[in-house]
This record gives sequence, C-alpha cells and structure tokens, in this order.
Amino acid sequence: MSRLTMLLQIAWRNLLASPVNLIIGGLILAGTFLFVVVGGLLDSLNDSMARSVIGSVAGHIQIYSSKSKDELSLFGGMGGDPDLSAVTEFPRIKEALEQVENVKEVVPMGSSGALITAGNIVDVTLERLRNLFKARDGQLDDPRLKGLSREELDTRIASTRRHVRQMIKVLEADQKKALAILKNQAIDPDVVASLAKVSQDAFWDDFDKDAMGSLEFLENKIAPQVTDAQMMFLRYLGTDLDRFQTSFDRMQIIDGTPVPKGQRGFLLAKLFYEDQMKLKNARRLDKLRDAKANGRLIAKDDELKRFVKENRSQTRDIVLQMDDLKTAEATKKLQTFLASTEPDLTTLLSTFFDTTDENLEARHQYFYKELAPMVELYKVRVGDTLTIKAFTRGGAIQAVNVRVYGTFSFTGLEKSPLAGGTSLMDLMSFRDLYGYLTADKAEELKQLQRDTGAKTVSRESAEDALFGEGNTIVAEATAGIIDEENSFTGVGRRLREDDLVKRVYTDSEINGGVILNAAVMVKDPTKLTETIAEINRVSQEKNLSIKAVSWQQASGILGQIITFFRGVLFLAVLFIFGIAMVIINNAMMMATMQRTQTIGTMRAIGAQRSLILTMVLTESVVLGVLFGGVGILLGSGVMAWLHERGIPAPNDVAYFFFSGPKLLPQLSSGNLVIALIIILLVTLISTLFPALIATRVSPLRAMQSDE
Amino acid sequence: MRSFLVSLMAVITLFGATPAIAMEKAELVKILTEIDDRQRNGGDYKALLYLEQKEKDKADVVREMVVYRRDADDKLMLLFAKPKSEEGKGILRLDKNLWTYDPGTGKWDRTTERERVGGTNTRRSDFDESRLTEEFDPSFVGEEKLGKFETIVIDLKVKPNIDVAYPVLKLWVDKASHNILKRQEFALSGKLARTSYYPKWQKLFSETKKAELWFPGEIRIFDEIEKSNSTLVLFKTVDLHELDQNMFTKAWLESKSR
Repeated sequence: MSRLTMLLQIAWRNLLASPVNLIIGGLILAGTFLFVVVGGLLDSLNDSMARSVIGSVAGHIQIYSSKSKDELSLFGGMGGDPDLSAVTEFPRIKEALEQVENVKEVVPMGSSGALITAGNIVDVTLERLRNLFKARDGQLDDPRLKGLSREELDTRIASTRRHVRQMIKVLEADQKKALAILKNQAIDPDVVASLAKVSQDAFWDDFDKDAMGSLEFLENKIAPQVTDAQMMFLRYLGTDLDRFQTSFDRMQIIDGTPVPKGQRGFLLAKLFYEDQMKLKNARRLDKLRDAKANGRLIAKDDELKRFVKENRSQTRDIVLQMDDLKTAEATKKLQTFLASTEPDLTTLLSTFFDTTDENLEARHQYFYKELAPMVELYKVRVGDTLTIKAFTRGGAIQAVNVRVYGTFSFTGLEKSPLAGGTSLMDLMSFRDLYGYLTADKAEELKQLQRDTGAKTVSRESAEDALFGEGNTIVAEATAGIIDEENSFTGVGRRLREDDLVKRVYTDSEINGGVILNAAVMVKDPTKLTETIAEINRVSQEKNLSIKAVSWQQASGILGQIITFFRGVLFLAVLFIFGIAMVIINNAMMMATMQRTQTIGTMRAIGAQRSLILTMVLTESVVLGVLFGGVGILLGSGVMAWLHERGIPAPNDVAYFFFSGPKLLPQLSSGNLVIALIIILLVTLISTLFPALIATRVSPLRAMQSDE
Repeated sequence: MRSFLVSLMAVITLFGATPAIAMEKAELVKILTEIDDRQRNGGDYKALLYLEQKEKDKADVVREMVVYRRDADDKLMLLFAKPKSEEGKGILRLDKNLWTYDPGTGKWDRTTERERVGGTNTRRSDFDESRLTEEFDPSFVGEEKLGKFETIVIDLKVKPNIDVAYPVLKLWVDKASHNILKRQEFALSGKLARTSYYPKWQKLFSETKKAELWFPGEIRIFDEIEKSNSTLVLFKTVDLHELDQNMFTKAWLESKSR
C-alpha cells in the first residue's frame, strides 16, 4: 500500500514537472471529449431515428417473403421500390408469429406509389358539369350529388356553366395577348375558331339541346388549350387501418375521421396534403409566414423572394376557379383592400401577392378570410373520392376509387417529409392496385389463351419462323360479324357502385389476401435480436417462407446512416488516438532520457527494475485518468447542457432523424466506460516501450552521464 | 443463239450483283401511300383482337379487345371485352385528344401516344389506320433479304408538330406485295425501342371502299429495351358493317358498362 502511495506521489510530482505531459494530457482530453460528445450525439440520433422509423412505419421488426428478389427497403432504395414477392398465406403466418413469446402484434402491409393526374382546371370543371347533367338525367356518377333535387341540380348546372364561360373569357384574353405577340403565325386556326365559337351566346343558348355533345366539344377543343394539369407522385401504404392506428400510437388524425372499421378508404399524409394538394399561392403564403416566424426576412432571403415572385406570376389557378359573380366580387374586394381602381383581377392578385415583411401578416389573414372561401383551397377535400392509378405487378394500369376520410400525421414528425410523405390506404384497395392474380383470374386468362391457341415465336428464330421457306404473306380473309354486345355486362360499374363503396370487410377478408410485408410490434424491444432469430426459426420450422429483419435493416439506406456516422466517428477517434500514441511514445521516450540520472540513482540505491517499470506505467495511468477524466467531465457537461437546451432541427428532413423539432441528447454510460478503457489502453500501450527502456538504465551509466 | 444466251445471263448476273439503285423520295412516298390506302377503309371498321404480353418472371397479360374505326372522320375507339377485370375499359381518340375510360372508377383521363395499351407493349397507333405519308418523311436505305422475301428498307422521320409514339421508324417492305414485313421504332435519341413483325397480311373486299381492305393478321412485337418481353396481336375477326352514328362519343363508351 505504501509502495503504491509512493508511486502515486512520484507520478504526481513528475506530472507537474514536465510541460510535455501537458501536451500529452491535452491530446487525451480532446480525444475523450470527442468520443463522449460525438458518441453520445450519435447514440441519441440512433434512438431518435429508431423512434421515428418504428413509430411511423416499420414497427420493431419487419417480415417479408424470403423468395423476394430484393431486400425490403421501406423508404425505397436507389432503384425505386424493392421487388418483393407477395406473401400469400398471411393468416397462417400471423397465427404462427403470435405464438412467439415477445410478439405483441402483427400488422399487414404493402407499399407502392402512383402518379395522380389532377387534370387541368377546365377538364376538372367540365367533368363536374358532365356529372351534374348525368345526375339530372338519372345516371349518378358522382356520389356527392346523391339526394339533390332537380332544382338544386339545375342551380348547380347554371353556376358551373357560368364558371366555364368565365374560363373561356380568360382564355380569350390569353389568346388575344398571344396573337399580338406571335402575329397569328403559331396559333392553330382551328383553336382560334373553336374559342370564337364557344364565346358566342348561340353556343350556350343551344347547349342543353345536346348537352353531352356540347361538353365533348368543350373537352376536345377548348380544354387542351389549358396546360396546367399537374402530376403528383403519391406514395401509399396499404394496411389494416384499424390495427395500424392502434399499433402505431404516434399516428393522429388531423382532419376528418379515421376510415370506418372494415371499409375501404384513404387517409392522406397531412404534409403531402399541404405540400401537393393545396392551392400553390396559399401554400406559399403559409411558408412565408412560417419563415417569418422563424426569423427569416423576405428582404434578405432569396428563397422567400422567389416565393413572392411565383405568387405574383402564378395567379391563374385562382382566376380560373372563379365564375363571373365570384370574379366581380373578388375584384371589388381587392380594389377596396389595395385602394386601387384596376379592373383586371389577375393584375390585382399580382399586386396583392407582392408581400413584404411588413404587410405579410395582414395579407395572409385577408387571403384566408376573404379570398380563400371563394376558391377550392385543396384539389381533394375530405369526403371526396380520389382515383388512384398505378401500375400493377404485371405492368398494366389499374385504377381504384377510394374515399378520402381524412388526413393524419405522426406526433413530433409533422414536418418530416420522410414520415409525412406516405399516405394510408385500406388493404383491399391496395390489393386491387397491386393486381395479384388470383387462381380464378389466372384460369380465366389461361382459358382465353387456350381458346386462341396462338403459337409462341422466340426473338431469335422469329425471322426464320415467320418469313422462311413455306411461309406466305398474303391471304384472303372472309368478312366476319362481331357481336360484342353480350361481352359487356357492366361488371366494372357495378363493382364501383355497389361493392366497393358500401361493403364492410371482415377481419378474415382483410387478412386473407396477399400482402407484401408486415410490421411486428414486440413487447420488449431490448430482446429484438432474439425475437428476430426466433421468428426466422419458426418460419423454417413451419415452412412459412418469410424473413424477419430489424427496423434498421428494413429502413434500407436510411437505417445505415447512423452506422455510417458511427464508423466515421470510430475512424476519427482511431486517428486521434493513433497520433496521440505516437506523440505520447516519443514524449515518454524523451522524458525517460531526461530522467536517466534519477532512474540510475534509484537503481543504485536498490530499486528493482519492476519498480521502475511500475513507476513509469503508473505515471502514464495517472496522466490518462486525470486528463481523460477531465475530458469525460467536460463532455458530460456539454451533453447535459445540450440535453437541457435541445438541438433544434436545422431543416424539415432533420425532423425525422431528431424524431421531432429538437434533438435532446442523452449521455450514455456505455460511452463513458468505453472512453475510460480506450484512454487506459492508449496510455499504457504508448508508455510500455519507454518504460522498458527505463528499466534498462544501469547505475553505472547514470554516474557516467553525470561526469 | 448460244452466245446470246450467255451474254444475257452475264447481263442478268451483272445486274443482280449491282447494289440496289437508290429510290427517289417520290417513289417511296408512292409506296407508303399505297400501304396507307390499302389499310384505310373509308367507311366503318370493327376488329376483334387478341393481345398477349409475355414478360420474364411475370404472368402473361392476356386481353381481348374490339377496335372501332371510322376512317372518314379519323375516329378510333378501343374497347376491352376480356378478361372480366378489364371489361368496359376503353381508349377513345377524338381529334387530337386521346382519352382513356375505366368503368371501375367512372373517370375519363387524357393519355398520350406513348402510353401502353392494356398493359401490353402496344400503342394506339398499332390499331389505328395507317398514316405513314401524313406523319413521316421517308428516305431510302437499301434492299435486304428478310427470310426468303426481298424487301426495300426505308427510314422514316416524323414531320414537324406531329405527335407520334416513336419519331423514327425503319420499315422492311416486301418488294413483291408492298406490305410491311418488319418495322423498327426508335426514340429521338436513336435508341431502338421495338421490333415488330407482320407475317400475315389479309385482304377483304369493302363495300364502302369498293376495293380491298388490307389488315395485318398478326403482329409480333419484341421489346428492345426489356429484351425478354414480347407481345402478340392477333386479328381474330374483321367486320365492315356500319357502326352506330353516336359510337365515337364518351357517352357511348360509358353505356357499354351499364
């Protein structure tokens, strides 16, 4: 004990005696500090991202078909969605998985994407008019018109007709401007003539005599002149909506209601709804206001200046949405608000949207109070039917109608494009879009192939087989009669009207069909690895043909980001301590050389080599523990301060990684222990050689050096 | 006499060995006009078609479709009859507008010339009347043997302001019968997209045309982007009876699903 005290005393005295020790200590301090802080931040990021991924889409574990070509990647991979084989026996799989001890819930899923074409505003308005006429004639195509009396329908027809005429006025004004610029050269005379025809009262006086014919004229001759049709990429997750909402408890309905149990329906991700479906001018006004609230100024920010510029130039969406009465009303309101006598609504709107840091708040308020009620703020409203067209697995285009019940977001991830970019759909509609070939459908196709008996010709042999010897090209045909009347039974329409809208599906119907993957929620998340192994074992044993992966693996590239950063940290720490080891080694060598006399004297008065070795190593350990300890303390202090203050998400994407608007870093005890072990190892290894040199100093040499 | 025959043989051999003499644009236009005219009916036209798409690792796409044409008004309608899941879906060409209809959604959507028809590697133009002279400018490439048939090879480039599925074509036209036997379609970049073969041409007397109407009995399309994909189009029956006056309207197509 007294020997240790003596060694510690020597170490302490030597520590303060040499300035070299301060350099070595500084390096140890910096390395430890870095390890504790960056390691802690990465751990916190990992935990936050785990909360985001697990809570928004993945669950703790994901399962998918082991026959799949690609690995599951819930957020898409480099080449788009992974190619997953369909899981056809979900009920059996679910039953088997629910027997695994740690499994709490299994939620069936499948994700895909579709392009939605909203159609240009003239097409959309003409479609509305067409549906109104049909409803009046007893052919209801739009469920929203159900129950309206003939008088109500007539009123709506008159209003929509006025709206179309107002659009034609806008198009006429556009054409006049174009004619003045292009000097008649580039405008198709047919386009000019068509617009002239529908501008006449005569066209509208006779409209009702052949409403469908008049509509087709407008649809084919006038609507193509407007090219504002927008395409939106809609990403959706088909799932058992009830089970999803109870399992992913961060999900909250923002507008509307959840989809009624067992029914088909759609929930739009709130962020997607705002970003993609809202009137662009309104959305930009919102963004300007948000930016201002965060301290950004229009006067100094290029992005905000661009928003203002776009708002000023892109007012057609608003102008084309108004009929003559609304146009007059909006013009009057804006004239009063802007104290202007300008008669043109487009010019007035452009002036109105010339927002500055000073007038933004007032104009934002005015827009929502006075102008927004006159237009459709969203392309799709809650309660509307959304038509989603997607490519089936076979490559054909399949479309379904789904009712939009509401919008949703995940608590804390409201602004994250990663969590707020995927909407939710019932599994039945998802399966229709996926186009899985059931046994019945496959047999129907096979029968059609058998009836036709077409021979297959390969690409390689095509020219020989089709044009080689024995082939003739020309043949006489006999006129036939095609009686296709009986082929059309109206099955598509019946499905749309009866089956899809009203039907309530049972649990076994929802779970019974194909899925692509499923989220597994566990009772104890610390036993994730064991549970994955157990699921894979059960799959093998019961021949389920599924594969279980962790949420991290299922997240694809996203899940690897933290691992990547952890790798970078490891390399950085390795680099710093590598340099530190070289420096410490050299410094200790120098220190040992300087102390040759002292060590020699100690050896002369009886100190054993082991004592010298222990002495030098103790000095290093004291140095490491002292400066490393200060590094750990400093790092812990910074982490505590960051935890208290929180690190705000620098942008919307970071919301997902931070699992909310702020990252609250936590100090990890594991990191502290690892840091301490690394320090001790580094100092001991780097001191070992100088220490051995010190043990070889002989008393004789010490005395000689004195001479 | 013998020396004359030898001389004649020598001349024939010499001519046979000489490279094909380039054909003038006017001659090519004449051939294309003949191809167009043969396939145009003048009156109404209805055909029952079988479509089959084969793709690697996927189930075959099989469809039965009725093509309605009123060539005098440049109108076209494609209406799917089988399988049940496709029944009543249709494509309607009105002027420059191309519409698709799905009775499952009750929606009409605009579509483009490049859109695939019914999940197969076919386009609207594969079923419409031939408009080669109206849409393309030809140039002579040479002569080539295709199997046992002598063919004239013609390059075609789309004329300005015309919307077609593929802007560059290469045709192999049978020298003897002036029918297209092979057709290659390219993107503007020059990338080959499809190779199609027309091994059977059939002719039928048309009362309205007072002449023969030609149609391809079968078309075999090989995808040049996804090499393992191929499409077969079989013309099962062609019916030249007069069609409903209101047929080429949205209302008529919708009525097929009621």
